[in-house]
Amino acid sequence: MTAERTAPADLEEAVRLMTEAAARGDALAFVGGGTEAEFGYPPERVDLEIETRRLCSVVDYAPSDMVVEVEGGMPLAALQRVLAASGQRLALDPPLPERATLGGLLATNAFGPRRLRFGSLRDLIVGITLVRADGTRVRGGGKVVKNVAGFDLPKIAVGSFGSLGLIATATFRLHPLPQAARALRIAGVPGSKLHAIGRDIVDSRLEPAATYALRTDDGYDAWVLFEGFEAGVAEQCERFAQHAAQAGLAAPAEEPPATFSSRDAGARTAGDLHLRLAVPPSALDLLQRDVLDDLAGALDAARMTVYPALGIAFVSATLGARDPVPAILRARSLLEAWGGNLVVPASPAALRARVDVFGTLPPAFPLMAQLKARFDPQRRLERGRFIGRL
Amino acid sequence: MSRAQVLTAEAELAAAVGRAATLTGPGDLRTYECDGLDGLRVRPRVVVLPATTQEVAAVVRIARRHRLPIVPRGSGTGLSGGALPSPGCLLVVLSRMNRILGIDLENRRMRVQPGVINLDVSRAIAAQGYYYAPDPSSQSVCSIGGNIAENSGGAHCLKYGFTVNHVVAVTVVLADGSIVEIGSPATDSLGYDLLAAVVGSEGLVGIVTEAVVRILRTPETTRTFFATFPSTDEAGSCVSEIVAAGIVPAAVEMMDALAIEAIVKATHVDWPLDVGAALLMDVDGTRAEVEHTASAAVEIAWRCGALGVRTPADEAERALMWKGRKSAFAAMGRISPNYYVQDGVIPRSQISTVLREIAELAAREGLRVANVFHAGDGNLHPLVLYDARIAGQEALAERVGGEILRICIRYGGSITGEHGVGADKAVYLGELFGEADIETMNYVRCAFDPERAFNPGKVFPTPRLCGDVPGKYHAHATETAGTAGRG
Repeated sequence: MTAERTAPADLEEAVRLMTEAAARGDALAFVGGGTEAEFGYPPERVDLEIETRRLCSVVDYAPSDMVVEVEGGMPLAALQRVLAASGQRLALDPPLPERATLGGLLATNAFGPRRLRFGSLRDLIVGITLVRADGTRVRGGGKVVKNVAGFDLPKIAVGSFGSLGLIATATFRLHPLPQAARALRIAGVPGSKLHAIGRDIVDSRLEPAATYALRTDDGYDAWVLFEGFEAGVAEQCERFAQHAAQAGLAAPAEEPPATFSSRDAGARTAGDLHLRLAVPPSALDLLQRDVLDDLAGALDAARMTVYPALGIAFVSATLGARDPVPAILRARSLLEAWGGNLVVPASPAALRARVDVFGTLPPAFPLMAQLKARFDPQRRLERGRFIGRL
Repeated sequence: MSRAQVLTAEAELAAAVGRAATLTGPGDLRTYECDGLDGLRVRPRVVVLPATTQEVAAVVRIARRHRLPIVPRGSGTGLSGGALPSPGCLLVVLSRMNRILGIDLENRRMRVQPGVINLDVSRAIAAQGYYYAPDPSSQSVCSIGGNIAENSGGAHCLKYGFTVNHVVAVTVVLADGSIVEIGSPATDSLGYDLLAAVVGSEGLVGIVTEAVVRILRTPETTRTFFATFPSTDEAGSCVSEIVAAGIVPAAVEMMDALAIEAIVKATHVDWPLDVGAALLMDVDGTRAEVEHTASAAVEIAWRCGALGVRTPADEAERALMWKGRKSAFAAMGRISPNYYVQDGVIPRSQISTVLREIAELAAREGLRVANVFHAGDGNLHPLVLYDARIAGQEALAERVGGEILRICIRYGGSITGEHGVGADKAVYLGELFGEADIETMNYVRCAFDPERAFNPGKVFPTPRLCGDVPGKYHAHATETAGTAGRG
């Protein structure tokens, strides 16, 4: 399959290209920074790839309203630099921010550990401009954070893999950059005590910005990040040390906040096989005991990061001599039985036919198929890539 | 519909939910002819009060068979006419479905029926130190189902988000009577975010019969203060300065002189009457963090020209302050026979400017407008005061309300922040959005309810069809609409 690739210079050109493509009946795929390019089923047909890298301007930024509208091709890190000059940020910390574009992040609903405190993209987006399959440019939401006028197109587009339209611009609510940030790490945390930085830390009324745990040869490296004003962060760090002592854990060591993000991202982006596991937070003990240990034994060079308060784990590995498929399928069936799921955002071609990307379809799938049919009746956008091969 | 057909439908409905739960008498029907927007009234054909999801599914199937439009209703406190009956409709009242079905503290979830009262969710878990965040002012009477339909907010959504950020799964009865679960009770769900289509759908996609909501740990520390200012200008810049200082308050509410007067008369809070505006603000979080943000915010208030700053001496006084704020709409009765409330949103930085424009508009039209609103997120609640006994004043109040929405649109805002479009503001949706935008929103509705059985006549400015699905392709439509494009 050889598709043409084009990078429109502005929204008008994108609209024109998509209108022409509609007239020809071309099947389209959208290309952002390529950080999640493998996520989803391989598209059934692509005649034209529309690359968003030149759609990378800030459309409107009102620091006093803490809202920004950007074009979909803008990389996250570039946006953060603009916002930082006004002491603000988009509270989103997925891996690879230099490459990942806002449009791509929205399409795949990407997130990092700060989701604990700030929520995910559906909690941050307030407005959107989509270019529909027929080339029509449409808006939803707006430029104010609080808004219930009409159906919530911005949130509906989050995690839609480009299957409803090109994400041309998006408007986000922003947060202040914290005055102080401190990261703490505790080594050698046994898997049975991961809840110390999950459920227990929330129960203790501490308010970390993020926590995660990296699997090591010796249990887990538990990481906690506090952000806020100096005095508040200092108090929380002190109380976290007490909290750790009460849980029977080693004393936390201070680390640079930048390392907090890079360690998690490093674990998530290693290798060529990526899994994302989700369970109810109450199943955290089961997850590490019955699933992660099993996967660690079956995968080569496995790296794992767990977001214990969210009940989410990312596993990455390199396909080697061993066959990981039976362990992945075992994991999926356990997770689905617990009310969770296992998604495969990236995998080598050899595995694709043997492990489904999304697993069992959700009960509301027929409604999803209806939604796709309304937005894109000819299935010309990202044909076959999304859940259920929509 | 012939008389005989009506009787048949009524008999079938009574068989499905019981005779006592099927209301057909004129007196009973009159009770349900309006919601909180009492200027609009339509008598429903029949009212049913189902008790289970299966009963809801049964009445939906019956209504579809007899071609009755279906309008869902919770507590009927909505202010946009979202639960206003459609002519000849079956009104499905969910208030009997008011049980809490499960509390899962470990995953911080609660499963409730739609008729459960908002405040009762928090009450059920308060002793364990948890609460449900969305807190509309009507929270002691409004229902979770109604909150879901309207994507209700409240004072504290500034920090904690709206209903859509706190509902993780719903059970919905669709137009064909089928029952489907959307979202996931305790983890991320896969596929399109259909929850975002249901929450805030104003009763247009189906009937929610169960919901799983997220519950939060109550913050360790909350500090409240009440600051008075010479005018809304100083109060407005105080809000902007607080936010610019990197503080995210849990809530910042503003009241102008007229609103303060009404609240003082109605609730006997001892607020000063010789001020131009007041702010009621909460900051919450961990101890040292709150100490810092509270004292920084108070300092900013003084710097912005506060006339006085009060902090409540105890929880009782704090509760009284908030009661004053939350009683504001009801208090208007003390200063005006009638009022018409709007719900426009503007960028926070434009508060002072827009309030001045509204005041000029009111003066020009000879009406008074009181303002009590969520200043932190620019969600205005202008209360247009009028006397319905004076010929023409009601219509004038509505016209002024409409002009206020146009001002909000002009400043880059929205026509509704939390009350919904409903029947009241449908006409203004077409001023906020273009035809293609609205057509696209209709795609979402049509995916759920292609025959538009649910709540017809609401939200969309003009009736629109769903068309066939899928497959048919009309090239000319795409070309003409597409090249035109819309900003």
